[in-house]
Amino acid sequence: MPALVHDWFPRELPRGLTLGERSYLYSSFAFLHARPQAENTICVGDDTGIYHGTFFELGPAARVNIGCFSTVVGAILRVEQELWIGNYVFIAHEVVISDCDGIGASRRLTAGAKLPPLSCQPRDITIEDDVWIGMRAIVLAGVTIGAGSIVGAGAVVADDVPPLTVVSGNPARVVRQLMQPAVKGGTVR
Amino acid sequence: MNSICDARPFTGEWDYGSLPANVRLGQNCFLERRDAFGRFRSSREVGLVLGDRVRVMTWTTFNVEPTGRVSIGEDTQLIGAVFMCAEEIRVGARCVISYNVTIADCDFHPLDLQQRRQDAIANAPEGDRSARPPLVAKPVVIEDDVWIGIGAIILKGVTIGKGATVAAGSVVAHDVPPGAVASGNPAVARRE
Repeated sequence: MPALVHDWFPRELPRGLTLGERSYLYSSFAFLHARPQAENTICVGDDTGIYHGTFFELGPAARVNIGCFSTVVGAILRVEQELWIGNYVFIAHEVVISDCDGIGASRRLTAGAKLPPLSCQPRDITIEDDVWIGMRAIVLAGVTIGAGSIVGAGAVVADDVPPLTVVSGNPARVVRQLMQPAVKGGTVR
Repeated sequence: MNSICDARPFTGEWDYGSLPANVRLGQNCFLERRDAFGRFRSSREVGLVLGDRVRVMTWTTFNVEPTGRVSIGEDTQLIGAVFMCAEEIRVGARCVISYNVTIADCDFHPLDLQQRRQDAIANAPEGDRSARPPLVAKPVVIEDDVWIGIGAIILKGVTIGKGATVAAGSVVAHDVPPGAVASGNPAVARRE
């Protein structure tokens, strides 16, 4: 991937990055914590915008796919294994998506206990087409968000979200169903 | 002399010449950083009103659409309020709004699936922004003497009553009665 013409950050882009036609990435700063020599594959489709404040926190073998006509406005995407984001997806400010719990909440530390090793069992995250993730929402490991669904601002999503569903709150609960779509017209890819 | 601003005389480092013309300032306002207006695009006759002695600290930003208008009552302290305004956000007097608080009077994207796809295409890097579906906004009203804690999100159509408190991290989607304390996600209001 050649350098971005507008880039201000003196860092090479990851070798495994491909950016589609007319797509925009604000800077190589997005890969600040990713190792350039790692075997990552990051595929970004056409007409997708990845804007200021987005970070790809990638493990050495992470794979990320972002489809076409999607918009990522300042999210943190922490990936150890695989994150799939479809087409027409909108991800708002300060969203965090992490496919790995790290030292997760399930592991309670008692006073004086040694810190457990930084282990994690990553579980793939899938965000299907036409999903909208509201600002400051958190999407946890293993979650699939079905096509057309909406995640409300500040929601914490730990379980799968069916298609065409609005969820919000912590933990995220179903708020309502959306109408069956009458989407016509071109499919992308 | 009971706040950090009192201890800092107004130095004139703010360039009044660059304030948008439709901003009305009261007496003795303090504006720390001009970047607060980086996304101020209101084209209304009066797009922002700051009452007397309002303090706008560095983390505050006014993201105002051409159709939007924000007004702030006197003696209110905006520490880190991020305003996202498409129509109207009114904040009363003597409020304190903490770090990373977002106040939005609009979802800024449609709920309807068909329209969302249209929105996604119009928002592509080289898309035609004028083809975006119309925004649906409902004014947010924050009455006098309200305190809003760190990281809270206040959503469209909400009225927060006089003297209420919003706890840190709350997501407020419904009205908060006067004097109540709202906390959680979704926020639940309790009477004091």
